[in-house]
Amino acid sequence: MKTIRIKKSFTLLLATSMLVVLALSGCSGGKSAGDVVPGNDGDSANSGGQVTITHYTIDSEDRTFIEKLVPDFEAQHPNIKVKIEKAPYEQFDSKLQTLIAGGKSPDVTSHYGYGGFAEYYNKDMLLDMNDIIKEDGFKASDYNIPDDLMKIYTVKDQVYGIPVNMYVSLMLYNKDMFDAANVAYPPSDYEDKSWTFDKMVEDAKKMTHVSNDIAKTQYGVDFTWSERDMRPLYFGAEPYSQDTWTNGGVPSETHFDSPEVIAAYNKLFNLILKDKVSPTTEWSKSVAGQNGDAFVTGKVGMTVSGSWSLAGSNDFPFKVGVAAVPAGGNDKVRSVLFVDPLLILKGSKHPKEAFEWIKYLVSDEIQEKSIDLSGGNPPVNTKAAETYYKHFDGIDTADVKKVYEGAVKYGFESYNHLITHYSQINDMFINEMQPIDTGHNTVEEVMPTIQKKVMEIIKR
Amino acid sequence: MSMIPTAGPGASPSVNKRRRKIDAVSIASFIALVVTTFLMLLPLFFMVSTSLKSKKELLTFPPTFLPESWQWSNYREIFDTLNFGQMYMNSLIIGILTVVGTLFSSALAGYGFARYRGKGSNLWFMLMLSTMMLPYPAIMIPQFILFSKLNWIDTFLPLIVPAFFGSAYNIFLLRQFFTTLPDELFDAGRIDGCSEFRMWRQIALPLSGPALATVAIFAFIYSWNDLLTPVLYLSSSDKFTLPVGMSSFTSSRFRIPPWHLLMVASVLAMLPIVTLFAIAQKRFVEGIVLTGIK
Repeated sequence: MKTIRIKKSFTLLLATSMLVVLALSGCSGGKSAGDVVPGNDGDSANSGGQVTITHYTIDSEDRTFIEKLVPDFEAQHPNIKVKIEKAPYEQFDSKLQTLIAGGKSPDVTSHYGYGGFAEYYNKDMLLDMNDIIKEDGFKASDYNIPDDLMKIYTVKDQVYGIPVNMYVSLMLYNKDMFDAANVAYPPSDYEDKSWTFDKMVEDAKKMTHVSNDIAKTQYGVDFTWSERDMRPLYFGAEPYSQDTWTNGGVPSETHFDSPEVIAAYNKLFNLILKDKVSPTTEWSKSVAGQNGDAFVTGKVGMTVSGSWSLAGSNDFPFKVGVAAVPAGGNDKVRSVLFVDPLLILKGSKHPKEAFEWIKYLVSDEIQEKSIDLSGGNPPVNTKAAETYYKHFDGIDTADVKKVYEGAVKYGFESYNHLITHYSQINDMFINEMQPIDTGHNTVEEVMPTIQKKVMEIIKR
Repeated sequence: MSMIPTAGPGASPSVNKRRRKIDAVSIASFIALVVTTFLMLLPLFFMVSTSLKSKKELLTFPPTFLPESWQWSNYREIFDTLNFGQMYMNSLIIGILTVVGTLFSSALAGYGFARYRGKGSNLWFMLMLSTMMLPYPAIMIPQFILFSKLNWIDTFLPLIVPAFFGSAYNIFLLRQFFTTLPDELFDAGRIDGCSEFRMWRQIALPLSGPALATVAIFAFIYSWNDLLTPVLYLSSSDKFTLPVGMSSFTSSRFRIPPWHLLMVASVLAMLPIVTLFAIAQKRFVEGIVLTGIK
């Protein structure tokens, strides 16, 4: 008899708990009911032929500004609704993977997280846009997109991405520090042959004061140019075999233990260890915090950095100038380009409508408008670029223009977009190179291990 | 709570000497405790201090200990910069409902496991405990598919409803507590004609203050700090929770992060946890008194 009673009360309890759950889900469901109604979900094209496409991006002002462009676009395209989905930078990749695996793939996105284009391409996540482009009659030149940039995201004649923003590497310098040390400002002209790596070291020496008092210490230059595996290229050493660029980012060979690559790294590490004109990572961290940039604190004379730093330059507590990256020995490559494309994912149910939205984002008028809305994103559109050069208060427009044009001429698309498994390669580099930073190991000791590990990662 | 033990009445003179020695040790450890407390509080102090600095002052090195000019307006600015109020409310709603759900379901299940024996109840218990070994990423995608089939994406439901189905750790914790309650209490209840549900509600629950408080704190802190789940399930700004909003704050690799505002947000985000802890601590002490009487 007792067991029956217990069973009865259990059923009762189960029922009550279910009721509570249902009641609660009812409540909070009602709160957000506006977004759960069918037709707003992307996969139902029934409500009068209207479709919803989603654009997945990073939740930061310089990315989410596209929300402000949606109303105009929807007015011009009454059959398309655009929904912007967002995630913080650190979680961008994991959310994207989950969305795709869960059958809720966004239509349009870019490689804004750690993973690059090659990784997406090799995971077969991207839609080949050739058919749509042919049907639409899209021509990059109509949108003032240089053909060179279109090639970056074209693999074996198939187009997988339309470039939208183009960041370059440039040199920022602290005018106040140059004035105090009585050193002439570096040139913004890439054709100025006197502006070499050695001249940079010479200038840097005049501005470097190392003192026991950490507050009085300052350094001449911070030359952390792009990703670590990228840097040998600047000195003319090629760590990845040529076929990398033609077969979707899978190199057949790498040469990280070659004498050329080792010499290149030695040149860079000598800035810290021998010439002592550059700060150690430890010093930078203690001055500027974990992810901070020591240049921003006004304790570093020159820094090679991405052009995105320009957007924050108004906040720096000193006067800033822009200069060309000095010549390092490779007469073709002096700047790293970071071209962000707009991609259509394979899971997209409305690729044509997604392409309409992409075309809208790269059109002359919107590219120009986006510069201000985003707070200084560089457009790929060469016409809008003129407006971009003028965008930064306190920095000479002519200098920005010269630096940009030189960087494009001597630029090379960043490895992180072009090589497969890049996030793992990058992590491995940071870990393995740490002992060189601290002076515990030499470049010669570390590079053979790196060479072995790069190949292991690529073969995965 | 007092750090230095005081001599009880009637301590004999022979103990006196030893007591003085103990006192010296106690004073030393007291000082050590004060110093470590101070060190522990230092980051907290810097958080508050940074939250009151201007953007320019953030970049100065060496950092200033106290703000040069006190920017109380930062605390207003945070509400203008991002919809902080909305995020705060969202986090609170989700947190409170999660606590309600966790307490209800875990206490019920824990009580069941503690008080009733049935065929294979040990097996079920083991099975339930083994769910603790599944890491979240392993169930992340199947769970996402489930909730997306239910059309729950971009609603709070995926963040709240699972709490109503119990969690192994909390069930285990409460079960262990319920087994310590004497059978006699329940026998007496049964004799008086108390229903099983009423025994749970009117005998077991009131005696479990400290255990329930612990579970409540765990559940709330977990929900309050959770970043990954809201990131996965929420997509519209007006539904974002605090961790999502705050993590977006440093999201731009292109700007200097507004650390001062982030610190303002952190100070404000800390308040509910501190409050909850203050309330629950009282409950802890009450619980000790109760069990002492028993």
